[in-house]
Amino acid sequence: MRLLVVEDDSSLAGQLMRALQEAGYAVDLASDGEEGLFLGETEPYDAVVLDLGLPVIDGLTVLDRWRRAGRAMPVLVLTARDRWSEKVAGFDAGADDYVAKPFRMEEVLARVRALIRRAAGHASAELVCGPLAIDTRSARVTVDGAAIRLTAQEYRLLSYLMHHQGRIVSRTELTEHIYDQDFDRDSNTIEVFVGRLRKKLGVNLISTARGLGYRMTSPGAES
Amino acid sequence: MALRLIAGAGLWIAAALVVGGLLLSALFRDYVVRSFDAHLTVLLESLIAVTEIDEEGRLVLTRPIGEPRFDQVYSGWYWQISAGNEILLQSRSLWDQTLPRGLSPDGEFDGPVSRSDIRGPEGLSLRAVARTISLPGSADRFRYQVAADDREIGDEMRAFNEALTWSLSALGFGLLAAVFIQVRYGLRPLRRVGAGIAAIRSGQATRLEGSFPSEINPLSDEINVLLEHNAAVVERARAHVSNLAHALKTPLSILTNDADRATGPFADTVQRQVGVMRRQVDHYLARARTAATSELLGARTAVPPVVNDLCRTLGRMYPGRNIQVDLSERRALQFRGERQDLEEMLGNLLDNACKWAKSQVRLTVFLKSGYLVFKIEDDGPGLADDQRAAVFRRGKRLDETVPGNGLGLAIVREIAELYNGEVALERAPMGGLCALLVLPPAESAPAARA
Repeated sequence: MRLLVVEDDSSLAGQLMRALQEAGYAVDLASDGEEGLFLGETEPYDAVVLDLGLPVIDGLTVLDRWRRAGRAMPVLVLTARDRWSEKVAGFDAGADDYVAKPFRMEEVLARVRALIRRAAGHASAELVCGPLAIDTRSARVTVDGAAIRLTAQEYRLLSYLMHHQGRIVSRTELTEHIYDQDFDRDSNTIEVFVGRLRKKLGVNLISTARGLGYRMTSPGAES
Repeated sequence: MALRLIAGAGLWIAAALVVGGLLLSALFRDYVVRSFDAHLTVLLESLIAVTEIDEEGRLVLTRPIGEPRFDQVYSGWYWQISAGNEILLQSRSLWDQTLPRGLSPDGEFDGPVSRSDIRGPEGLSLRAVARTISLPGSADRFRYQVAADDREIGDEMRAFNEALTWSLSALGFGLLAAVFIQVRYGLRPLRRVGAGIAAIRSGQATRLEGSFPSEINPLSDEINVLLEHNAAVVERARAHVSNLAHALKTPLSILTNDADRATGPFADTVQRQVGVMRRQVDHYLARARTAATSELLGARTAVPPVVNDLCRTLGRMYPGRNIQVDLSERRALQFRGERQDLEEMLGNLLDNACKWAKSQVRLTVFLKSGYLVFKIEDDGPGLADDQRAAVFRRGKRLDETVPGNGLGLAIVREIAELYNGEVALERAPMGGLCALLVLPPAESAPAARA
């Protein structure tokens, strides 16, 4: 899962990045509206945390331009202005959720999780595929109730596949969603991760669609 | 100022009337004396005309003078003709007395009529005219004198002075009344300015309205400019408070989150103090907002667009909740107040309902007893009776696990009271909480509809 944080205050941006990375996300940071607008328009993010008070281009305009350009990723708006008229304007510009400053990090994490889940069409915070279950709140992975330890990148890859169960996900798409933009990307590493995941999970839930990518399906729902 | 103007005008009027009265009186006296003299002169001329020297060389009256008062003893009207020291003829009214012959009996021959004040019988003060002439048939010079009691002059003067005093007094009072009316009328624009300023102070107006005379216009314009300047300064100060409060929110977020990651007494202290600062920030933001609201007059807000905006937004914030809206009244419902205040009150109540509801939230808007009533119900857990009073307290949060700053209901109550409205909590038929927000509608005064 790859996120974009658009926040001009470097301390707050640092905290957000650290907290989101610890929660298992790959995070890109934009420190002004222009950079944020560009990244949001060009990179495939699973969710965006957008501050409204931004230099160069304000957050509402950035959001509005993304939506006009057809970018549909879920956007969590952060703002100090918490009047209802501002909330209405934010949601009308295309925000999916809203957190008023000052906030606690858990609140942002909970809302980001919910946004990603909702965008992928899942109602519950726990994603299940046969014997495999991951709890997006605690980043806990279990197979038949037994906990499995995963690295951050393994977890991201598994989480992305779990969110998009039944769909073929290309290696490029996986690369885009598990690495942040500064990471030295090599799609060959995906094969290594998938191999390691299959071994750690012990159940074969990830099938390879030759030349296309990978698909996660529960054993009963083979198609 | 009116008193000073009236007193000043009164002094001037009194002084002018006294001087004018004295002058008129003197002129009239002069006129009366002259016409009295003229009358006496006519009588003197008639006397001369009816006297002649008879064959025996004596002075005789050819016929009586047509003035009965000459025959009445001591009537005050006398005539006398003398030659040298000898009295030749005199009016019967003189009886046994004589008129003092007075001035220069040897004066000019055929001289002009001389006038004088003399003493007559019984010590009366008399006005006298005299002429010394010669008559054909005699070498003597005859002194003709006609005198009359000058009390007549005094009587006329008294009557005149009395009438003059009365009429001048009436004139004086009339003028004073006119001055009073003029001053009151003339100062009326100033009183209107005063009333206008009082209305501004009491919050019924924001500027001096109405047209004033051109002399007052610069004053009212200046006052309005001053008021606008004042409002701009207050607005700027309020914006600064608001900006400062908002600017503090980011550092407060950073402190909270860093303190959350740390443990120990320092982190606890930071966490506690951040909480205090948050409450202060929220408090001053709420204050700035209510101060802004109290100055707005005559604002009116259509209810349906606000409800639609809020429900659309809340529908996205809480995708699992079904928000049912019943704007039962067909007519366009209007709230007498600012749109953002209605948004704030209704938004907070609906937000609470959505936060706690299992799935259903219902908003009903209707008019009852002349008030606009918003009923917000949910099917959540609701509140116990003793908890319902507690939730209105600033910063009070009954459940720390659900995000929020505990200001929502306190803000709703604060704004509602500003509009003489109220908010109450009940048990909803759906099972959860039912919030009733009662506000003034814009169509007419509540009393008229009760």
